[in-house]
Amino acid sequence: MLTKEQKMKLYTNLVRVRKLDEIMVKGVLSGKVCGHWSSQKGQEAVGVGATTFLRKDDYIFFCHRGHGITTVIPKGISPRAFIAEHFSKNSGACQGMGCLHVADMEYGAPGLSGSLGGDFVLAAGMGIAAKMRAKGQVVVCIQGDGTYGRGTFHEAALMAANWKLPIVWGVENNQYMVFTPTSDIFPKENMADLAFGYGMPGVVVDGQDVVAVFEAFQTAIERARAGEGPSLIECKTYRIEPHTYGMVDKRCAGLRSPEEIEPWVKKDPVNLFQERLLKEGVLTQADVDRIDREAIEEMEEAERFATESPAPDPQILKQVLYWK
Amino acid sequence: MREVRFIQAINEALLEEMKRDETVFIFGECVRGGTFPHTNGLFEKFGKDRVLDTSISENAIAGAAVGAALAGYRPIAELMFSDFFLIAGDEICNKAAKWRFTHGMKLKMPIVYMASTGGYIRSDSEHSQSVESLIMHTPGLRIAIPTTPYDAKGLLKTAIRDDDPVVYLYHKLLLTKKGEIPDEEYTIPFGLADVKKEGKDVTVVAVGFMVDLSLGVANKLQERGISVEVIDPRTLEPFDIDTIVTSVKKTKRVVIVDEDTLRCGVTGEIGMQIMEKAFDYLDAPIQRVAAANCPIPAGWYLEEHVLPQPPDIAAAILKVLGKDMDISDMKKEKVGFDAVKAFGDLGITKVKQN
Ligand SMILES: Cc1ncc(C[n+]2csc(CCOP(=O)(O)OP(=O)(O)O)c2C)c(N)n1
Ligand SMILES: [Mg+2]
Repeated sequence: MLTKEQKMKLYTNLVRVRKLDEIMVKGVLSGKVCGHWSSQKGQEAVGVGATTFLRKDDYIFFCHRGHGITTVIPKGISPRAFIAEHFSKNSGACQGMGCLHVADMEYGAPGLSGSLGGDFVLAAGMGIAAKMRAKGQVVVCIQGDGTYGRGTFHEAALMAANWKLPIVWGVENNQYMVFTPTSDIFPKENMADLAFGYGMPGVVVDGQDVVAVFEAFQTAIERARAGEGPSLIECKTYRIEPHTYGMVDKRCAGLRSPEEIEPWVKKDPVNLFQERLLKEGVLTQADVDRIDREAIEEMEEAERFATESPAPDPQILKQVLYWK
Repeated sequence: MREVRFIQAINEALLEEMKRDETVFIFGECVRGGTFPHTNGLFEKFGKDRVLDTSISENAIAGAAVGAALAGYRPIAELMFSDFFLIAGDEICNKAAKWRFTHGMKLKMPIVYMASTGGYIRSDSEHSQSVESLIMHTPGLRIAIPTTPYDAKGLLKTAIRDDDPVVYLYHKLLLTKKGEIPDEEYTIPFGLADVKKEGKDVTVVAVGFMVDLSLGVANKLQERGISVEVIDPRTLEPFDIDTIVTSVKKTKRVVIVDEDTLRCGVTGEIGMQIMEKAFDYLDAPIQRVAAANCPIPAGWYLEEHVLPQPPDIAAAILKVLGKDMDISDMKKEKVGFDAVKAFGDLGITKVKQN
């Protein structure tokens, strides 16, 4: 059971991530964000539920969507470092060299594979290290439904299952891979069924319900910390935004219909949790307003910091490739 | 003749070849919807059996192309970004490239591996690479890199009809480029370089998008009395060294420009071939311009310090000519990609920046 404080923390993280998303959209429109922005709006409960209560020394791999926003922010990377990286400033998490690839090993976040699915096998390696170190660390690796098409998942899942590595595989199933509906590229109802061939638990969870996500991950994480090996959790969610901000919104060769999207807008994970906490009396309307205001202030301050930070010095290119 | 965009030219070649030959089919990630819209309209015309969306499965895309080819079909494997050729290295470089050789020369491998290539998009190092050096290095693969709508269509049609595996690369910055193509059917043979601009003082051999940068520089230098010949090899394998040698005999000076990394890049190979065939005609050491020896940094500020820029090409030309000239005006010019505009023009995105 979650305590009142824990619920508040989950809710606060949902709001912070949502406000950060809004800042990123603004950054695209003002031309400050370099590259594109793949909004994770409406899917926040997955990453936030999975990572808010991880240990600082646990490792995470995240979806390309949101560029890690729902996992690295709960894990502790500052919005300043996140935004500055996207503005390609030297104060960014990767000194402006990675842009959408936010990373900081202090928080157990080594980065994002640009070629999707590259992360699975790296997660296996971090699992090996975590097991050798025997300090109870876990690896949480959340990837999109399309990314689970990569063969690297099979190799990593097999290794993790064979060696009982402390890994939790998360599927953030938003029902689309760019323009392709997931039902066209996966033959079964549940991707969680992938788990059974490897003899690990496979669970389906409502990805709009941050508590349900948290509980499913908590069970799997405890199992992993206890040395009992990996699990796979499929979070059912939905991509309400186009693949990247401003992109035409297609389904197969045609356009996606607004009627398809609408019911999912109603299942907004932030609103759902807010209503629940208000009803439970965990939150008052005054709390809701305060959390909103603080999140906006935090993100706006971070945006100002990023805007004012200097660009990286080209001299850095001489040092970045090798240690010596 | 009519004017089309580069991407339309690719689309026309796909449509015509799929209509002409029922064994041609295309598959890859989002080819029905077309993230790069050169596959638009194919699904509507040829249906779900010949236009197939895959999961993110580069090994299966590249490898299934080999299997389908062995079984008598002519697959077009769309890999979206040439960076992902590295994922499918075994299928492309060990199977497609080698199996005819190792299996008694009886196997046909009529595959086209197509993908966008190159940088200047300020994206990350895993979406901006040029892989022509790796492909040219691997025996058994053909490689075509068009730079005009005319070449894009003609070379793709040849690629689809070829019985060997062809890597076909389209540069992201060329997608919106306009140019003329004939109304009637045509193909362009492989191994035939194209002199994109005639000149008499120096030969610039440029690969892919570097042809456009070099032509820009050549036109600026023309105003200053320097006559630059720009040669586009169009295919790196087969490679038309003869056209280049003919040009070198005339100009006696060579600059080679490529977007891939300088070290072990195609500039080194082309330079050495010129040394072997035309050393006696050279009046100065060959100069080359290519990407710095490091991954391509993401972000607004650093990419331009890694990828070749017009002033780099101009400086190399002046150096091979032994001339000193003020080119500071060229330094202001940056090669960049206005993604918002380009993708807007292509109908992929509609973002109004303020
Ligand atoms: C290996 C690889 N292939 C293709 C791409 C291009 N690409 C970027 S995002 C994406 C779709 C990802 O789908 P999914 O994993 O479901 O995540 P979502 O976008 O739905 O969040 C693709 C195909 C890539 N980055 N890497
Ligand atoms: Mg998806």
